Amino acid sequence: MRSHVRELREQLGWSQAALAERLGVSRQTVNAIETGKYDPSLPLAFRLARLFEKNIESIFIFEEQS
Amino acid sequence: MNLAFRTQLVIGLLLLVVALALPRFVSVSDTMEGILYGLAIGTLFSAVIRRQRGASCDEVPRALGRRYMRELIPATIAYLVTLFLSVWLLKQVEIEWLRALLALLPVAPVGMIMRAIIRYIRDTDELQQKIELEAVSIATALVSLLYLSGGFLQTAKVIDIPAGVAMIWVFPLICAVYGLAKMVVSGRYK
Repeated sequence: MRSHVRELREQLGWSQAALAERLGVSRQTVNAIETGKYDPSLPLAFRLARLFEKNIESIFIFEEQS
Repeated sequence: MNLAFRTQLVIGLLLLVVALALPRFVSVSDTMEGILYGLAIGTLFSAVIRRQRGASCDEVPRALGRRYMRELIPATIAYLVTLFLSVWLLKQVEIEWLRALLALLPVAPVGMIMRAIIRYIRDTDELQQKIELEAVSIATALVSLLYLSGGFLQTAKVIDIPAGVAMIWVFPLICAVYGLAKMVVSGRYK
């Protein structure tokens, strides 16, 4: 799933490691979410949304698979 | 050199020294010698792969990694000590129930190793847990397939592997395939 996590993180001037620490996950997980290789669980998506003060829908771009 | 690589290298070399030196001092069965060489080669192989790959398959908080090593290393040492003790004592004892007890002596530290692995997996984050689950599934499926094939070949009298050797190698084989599978699976998320 594509997302705006990288842009939002960079706007705040955080490194992947810094965001990972705030979320309580590994840097690998943040990187995988940013590159669209891993879709986070709902609780993690909510933690991201809360951290960026956004709605989940404005962070993640859901694309129906054809 | 990272900590995990150094630890694996030291354990692998230690096992190799034990495998080379032990038969010179005490009489060691072929099975036991094979197990020692297998463990040494497996550990060194895993260390080399880790070194070659540069980045680790596991990205976990440093405290979790340290706790895992703190639990794993003493358990591995305890396993080696009880293994040799068990083999040596079994040559001196004839009473059946005591032989059973001595033969099962190394199982307790293996239980400690398994506990360390489970605690480690339980405390990793959701992506790492997904990687671990997939790697464990692949490892158990492949090793089961191998043993099923071996069972058919043995029944057909094409091969003749001693049952003890076959049973002892289940856990090390699962660990080895699990390590390789984890490298492949984690590569998908990099």
